[in-house]
Parts: sequence; structure tokens; C-alpha cells
Amino acid sequence: MFLPSARVAIFSLLTLLLAGCDNDPNPEPYRKTRPDGSPWRVRYMGLPADPKSLDPQFAYTTIDQQIIEPVYDKLLEYHPMKADPVELQPAMLEAIPKKEVHPDGKVSYRCRLKRGIFYHDDRCFPGGKGREVVAADVHYVLQRLADPKVESPFFAPLEQKVIGLREAREVGIAKTGTFDYATPVSGFEAIDTHTFRIHLNGPYPQLLYWMAMNTLSPVAREAVEYYDGKMHDGEVRPKFRFYAVGHGPFRMREYTPRRAIRYERVEGYHTNVFPSDGFPPEKAEWLKQFAGKALPLFDELHILIVQETIPGFVLGRQGYLDSITANKDAFAAIVTSDRQLTPKYKARGMGLELVGLPGTFFISFNMQDPIVGKNAKLRKAISCAYDARDYVQIFYSGVAPVSNQLVPRGLFGYDPHYVNPNGYDLEKAKRLLAEAGYPGGRDAKTGEQLVLTVEEPVAGTEERQRAEFEQRLFEALGIKIKVNENTFARVIERLEQGNFQIGSGTGWAADYPDPENFFMLFYSKNFPREGANYSRYSRPEFDRAYEQMATMEDGPERLALIQQMNAMLAEDCPAIFQFDKATYIAPQPWALWTHNHPMIEYSYNKYHQVDPVLRVKLRREWNHQPMWPLVILGGIVLAGLGYAVRWNLRSHV
Amino acid sequence: MFNYIVRRLLYSVPILIGVIALTFTLDNVMMTPDAKASRVLGPKASGTARVEWIHNRGLDRPIPVQFVRYVKDLVTFNFGTTWVTGRELREVFLEGIGPSLFITVPGFFAALLASLGLALFQVFVRSSPLDRLLTLGSVALMSVPTMVYVIFAQAVLALNLRYFPAYGFAYEPGMIRFLALPVVIFILINVGYDARLYRAIFLEEVGHDYVRTAHAKGVGSSRVLAVHVFKNGLIALITLVVAHLPKLVLGSLLIESLFGIPGLGSVLVQAIQTGDQPVVMVSVFLGSVLYLLSLIVTDICYALADPRIRLS
Repeated sequence: MFLPSARVAIFSLLTLLLAGCDNDPNPEPYRKTRPDGSPWRVRYMGLPADPKSLDPQFAYTTIDQQIIEPVYDKLLEYHPMKADPVELQPAMLEAIPKKEVHPDGKVSYRCRLKRGIFYHDDRCFPGGKGREVVAADVHYVLQRLADPKVESPFFAPLEQKVIGLREAREVGIAKTGTFDYATPVSGFEAIDTHTFRIHLNGPYPQLLYWMAMNTLSPVAREAVEYYDGKMHDGEVRPKFRFYAVGHGPFRMREYTPRRAIRYERVEGYHTNVFPSDGFPPEKAEWLKQFAGKALPLFDELHILIVQETIPGFVLGRQGYLDSITANKDAFAAIVTSDRQLTPKYKARGMGLELVGLPGTFFISFNMQDPIVGKNAKLRKAISCAYDARDYVQIFYSGVAPVSNQLVPRGLFGYDPHYVNPNGYDLEKAKRLLAEAGYPGGRDAKTGEQLVLTVEEPVAGTEERQRAEFEQRLFEALGIKIKVNENTFARVIERLEQGNFQIGSGTGWAADYPDPENFFMLFYSKNFPREGANYSRYSRPEFDRAYEQMATMEDGPERLALIQQMNAMLAEDCPAIFQFDKATYIAPQPWALWTHNHPMIEYSYNKYHQVDPVLRVKLRREWNHQPMWPLVILGGIVLAGLGYAVRWNLRSHV
Repeated sequence: MFNYIVRRLLYSVPILIGVIALTFTLDNVMMTPDAKASRVLGPKASGTARVEWIHNRGLDRPIPVQFVRYVKDLVTFNFGTTWVTGRELREVFLEGIGPSLFITVPGFFAALLASLGLALFQVFVRSSPLDRLLTLGSVALMSVPTMVYVIFAQAVLALNLRYFPAYGFAYEPGMIRFLALPVVIFILINVGYDARLYRAIFLEEVGHDYVRTAHAKGVGSSRVLAVHVFKNGLIALITLVVAHLPKLVLGSLLIESLFGIPGLGSVLVQAIQTGDQPVVMVSVFLGSVLYLLSLIVTDICYALADPRIRLS
């Protein structure tokens, strides 16, 4: 018979274990119901890392941007339904800004902010009441870009375009070394409280895309100055870099580093409504119900920071995240070989979305190298020996589309009919190698085997396998490939120093959906360190075409220039094109996607929807806990104890 | 004893300076300032942005100047900020200690109790088939990599049986649901090794004369084991146990990362992945300080537990 204290202990233990039986890692929502009595709607997302910053003028990683996107609206935004081609629509601005061309070649954009957009209520404002967003806030944003302390990575590209941005930095820090916010940026002109002009050195249509990035999202000077990370009245205030005071559809209520971020909808948000046009035909009927509705469509957003891929898959399968990303660990479970949802997940009612990301990968040749840089046929031979299709099949489960040109799919300038003459063809590769002076991979004059070095970023087994795969492809030509394994940062360093022959792992993800953002990678004025022309490709005709194309509006003339540039790249072969970025996502049945847009990945929360009733029902079904393993375990423990007692009775110490 | 402690503390100073010098040298040999900037700011950062970043952190100053400043900051516990997120390191470490201790302290004590219990039980049933089976089990527990435990726990207990959350952490009344799996794994990875060791220590004690005397006086075998053998064996265990203490504070790298416990272990893993050098270097420094302290505490415990030992 158990003693009373033992009973209490066992009861307590059982209680604790029962408490441990709830496998939902998410906290209780802020509310159960909306004011009208309908269920409170929560969206659950997972992201793989903490934000580096919540400051719109600093945030540059995709993760940062996804995390601040619900809080800070942008001047313009991408139409969520129009993905190919992408299209901008007004967000905080009343309309897409009109270009004004001046006689001296300079260009201005006249912008007008919507009236009645307010910052979220916060104690940094007098009386804790958020004030209206005004044009002066945009000027303050430009000043912040010029302030070296903000360390904005966007200063470098914009200072060449926005008049007075560079000068503002020089003048602003001249006196004390710290930026003086009394220094104006001359490229900004306030017309009235809500109207302003941005003056540029010349044509730069890409400015509109910058307006669709968080870089130019208005911030309140009061918030930046209030949240200084210092002690005030016995309390340490957070830094603005980690405290978001925005004007978007959600207010950030909690951020616990390495755990979670929680947001709640802002009542009365009216900057945008759900669109009524551009619906993809396959979803049009379903989407009609949302047309013109107030945003956001749900009430609370919960982002769980899941650093590892396997737990993310487990949580998705149990219904505790609203989608499952078909990464390497989850791909085979979710996607069939013919790129369909597997029957198991189909039966659950899940969807499958292929998210094409506007980014591309390529292998760079060093055009200044005495061997590969001076021999176009040798570069072409190596390019023709590279089987991108096989590479993608092995390392990306065939999901990432094979690429044969610089501009990725979905962007203006991508040509679906383009055939790159340097695509995979091993026989042609061998022929070209012989013409290059290396028949069978040996120098025609000396008979020595050609040895080339490839810089490979290797951080683990998979990267090493990729490096070995590439080595095998190139060595099929009879040449010898020396693989120089390094960290990614070290590879980039060698590429920047020009200390390489062939550099693997290079690529580019679009900052904005414009071909200029890709062709600049081969513009001769973008040699490292300022630019990312790692190949050090330099061809005057290419530069001229690039300079002309960069400032043009989309149209047949621009397309013709892009085709010419593609032809030049094919002729000189400074790079081997590999693949574009893409991934599969399987949304849960209660959170089927309203939109799938390359520039906003799986973000733009305000347009997403959830069905909380269906979620509760399915979660319950999917998380039934069997009792038989506990019974077996208990039996084993009891048997062991019984054996011990018997042994004790029979033996002596 | 006071003189002894002071002397040991003074001996620790050159060791700490050696650790600091070694980590500083390794850091500078492994990565140039430009590579550090590129890793933190991303490959798209312009040359100007990187130069600015390097300058703002004083990485463009002469190496001896950097070293002196680095040592000064460490010894004054002025850890500065992380490179990646710009948060105060003190804040990051203080935030991480709690979750780490929630895993390691119960895990450590439970593993200690379980391995002591198992070792005593094996001594109790020594030379029996069950003893051999348990020894085999202990060896198996020692041999299985931590990752296998984690995968098993997540695949079987979290995914298929759905008893526990696969990931996450929260300070809440029901937080045991987040801690159960990591703590159990912490126990499993320690109990095999510890039980083998403790069994050996207790078996040695069982052969001593005082055990035979106790039996001769009619003391029961359970009491001999639980009181006499256990008490005498404990002295040998002190070194092993106290040496574990730094690990309790610094957390478990793999378990915390894979179960989403925001402790110091996951801080370190994240810092290694993102190239956040100040976090890594301060972690090594704190680890060294704690280890040196634990050695001193071990000596003191020895002296307190065994009257034959004098610290002088």
C-alpha cells in the first residue's frame, strides 16, 4: 500500500504528464470571438530565423521583410493577383506616381499620400494616439537612408539616383560626425502636407519598385527617437531596430526572440481593400466572395520561429502551421514524382502551390583569368558539359526550373523560346574543347592535361556532393578539375578579389522585378567591390545596351535590347546558367491561398484567409493520442520491478 | 582554504588569457574583416556598406589594438552587441539562461538519480542476466548519437503518438509539455555513460571490508547498498558531477536547436550559422570561466566530503 505522500507525488506526476499531453505549441489566441460573435481568426506561419531588424530602412533579408510587412505598409505594392507579369498598385499613395521629365534630363515623380492613414497608437506619440502619416515622414526616411548610423544597405544604390542623397550624408555628418537631421535631402520637395516630389538625376523607372519595398516605408520620427534602447524613468526602452511602430494592417504585440512573433489586426484599417480584378481563372469563383472586402481577412497572426526543417514539417502535419513547405526533408511526403500532391495530403484537403521566386543561379568564369578568361571556346565547352537538368533533378527534386538565360521566369525580358547555344551537349562540348586548343582535355602543344580550379561553397555533406557532381560533369571532357572548398563568405571574397578561375554558387535574387536588376551583374562599371560583376565581364556594346535598357519603360524596344544582350552573353559565355528559384508549398484546407505572387513569396498577410471552424475540427481529428504504448511501457516497468524483487529474495549481496 | 582559493583564482587568470588569445587568433585567421561583413550583411552588400560596417566595429584598427580592446571588454563584462541583430549580448545571454536551465537542471538531476538508481540496481542484481542486459542497454544508450534520439522522439512521440509538441517553448503553467521530450533525451544521452561509471565505482566499494563487516553484523543487503556503499561511493562521484555544472548553464546545442528551446545552446548554434562572432567568442569565454570555477568548487567539495583531504 502506498504511503499518503507517495500517492500525492504520483498524482502530481500524472497531472504533469497529462498537462504534457497537449501537443499544440501555439499559445491561446488573444480572443475567442470577434465583437460580432463570429470566431476569432488566427493565421499560423513558420519562419526559419529571427529578424535581423524591424527597421524598414535597414531590413534587407527576406525574413526581415516578411516579418515587418504586416506592420508597415508601403507607398506602392504589387497587385496580389497579377503575377505574370507583375503589376504595381497604389498602397499608401493615392495613385501610381506620374513621371515628370525636365528639360535638363532630370526626372521627378509626384506622389500624393492617401489621407487618413494613421500610425498605430503607441506611447511614443502624445497621448499615446498615433498621428497621421504625412509627406515629411518620407523626407525623414530619405534622411535616415543618408544617416551612416542606420547602416542602410539601400543607401548605396539610391544615392546614385536620388538628387542630394549623397550630399546630405556628407553635409549631415560634417560638423560632429553624427548625422544632423536638420540637413535636408534636396531631392525631396514637399508640396503640401500629403504631396511631395522625388527628384532623380535622370530616368530611373525602377524607383516605383523601390516604393513597393519597405525601404521607403514611412516611419515616425517620434518612434525612432523614443525607442532609443536607453534607460528612461527607470525603464529601458527597446531599440527602434526591434520595436515596430507602423501603419499597416497589423500591430506587432509581442516579439520573443528565437520563439515567436504575434500580431493583432488594427481596427479601422482602410489603406486597401481586397481586389476585385486579376483573379486567376482557376480560383476566380472562390475569390469573388472576398472582392472589395475590408482587410485584413483575419484577426491575429502568429509567426513561430522554427529553425529546423523537420520540426516545421511535423507541426505542419499536425495542423499547427497553416502550410507545409516542401523542403528536402518533406518533399517526398508531399509531392509525387509527377509534381502532384501525394494522395495522403490530397485526402486531407490540402492545396499545392508552386512558388516561383525571381532569382537565378549561375556559375561564373573569371574573364581576367589567363586561361579561361581568354578562351571563349573553352568557356563554351565547359558550359556545354554542364547538365543543369540532372543537377536540378538530384539536388532540387526537379522543382527548380532549369535556366538558360539571365532573366528568371515571370519578369519582363524572360524569353520562353530562347535557346542558349551553350546548353548541355557533351559531344558539342568535346568539339569546342578541341577547337579551344585542348583536344581530349589536353593541351594541343604540350600534351599536358588541362587543370582548372573551381571555387565551391561547402558547408556540409550536400554541398560537397554538389561540388563532386559538378567536378564529374566537367571532367567528362577529359580535363582535371581541382575543387577549392570554402565557406560561402570566403568564396565571395575570392570572387571579389578576382582570385579564381571558375566560381560556383553565384546567383541573384531580384530586389525588384526588372531585367536591369539582373543585367547589371555583367555591366563593366559593376566590378567588385561596389558591384557584383564577379566575372569581370566587360564589353562596350553590352554596356551601351545595358545603359539604354536600364532607363527604358517596358516595351518592344526594350525587349529587343534584352535579346541583343542575351546574344552577347551567349557569344562570350561569362557564366553557365543553372536554374531559377522555386519551391512547393502545401497550404492547409482551412487556409487555401488567395494568391501566389513571385515578389511577395508567401507573405502579404492581409490578403490571406483562414477558416477557424474547419481548423479546430481537423486538428482534433489529426491529433488523436493512442493509449496502447503507455500500457505496454507500464507493463515493461512492472515486469522489471517484479524480476528485481524475486532476485532480491533469492540472492545475497 | 581561503589562501588556496585565492591562489587557484590567480592560476586561472593566465589560462583565461590563453583562451582569449587563442579564440581571438583563430577568429582573425579564419575570416578577414571583409568576409565577416559579407557574412553578416549578405552577399549583396555593397563595398561601401561593408567598409562602413567594418569601420563602425573597429575591425579596421591594428590587430594589437583590437586585442587589447577585446580583452578589456571581456574582463569588464562589457560584451557589447551581437553583429547580426544588434541586440545587447548581456540581454541575449540573460534571456537564454532560463530556458537552458529548464532543460539541463531537471535533466541533470533526473539523469543523476536514474543513473545512480540503475547503477545500484545493477550492483544489487550483479552478475545476473538482468545485470548483463542492463549493461548492454547502457552501452547502447552511450553509443546512440543524440540526433537519433531527437529524430525518434520527434517522429514517434511527437508526430505519430502526438503526446508532446514537436517544437516550441513558453513560460506558462503547462510548459512541461515543451520540456518533457528534451529533458527525457537529455537523460537518455547521459544515463548510459553515467550508470556504467557509477556501477564500476559501487562495485569497487562492494568489495571493501566494511561491506563484509556490515553483512556480518546482520545488516540487510538493501540497506548495505543504499546507506553504506552509496555514501562511500559518493565521494568519488563529486568530481564527475561538479564538472557537469558549466554544461548546465551553457545548455545543450543540439537538443535546444531541434526542439526550439530558446536557450544558450540555440543562441550559440544560431551564432555559428550566421557568423555572429561576438556571441561565439563570449560563449567560449563564459564557458571557460564556468569550467575553471567548477574545478575550484570540486576541490572544495572534496575537502568538505573527505576529512583526509586538506586544501593547502
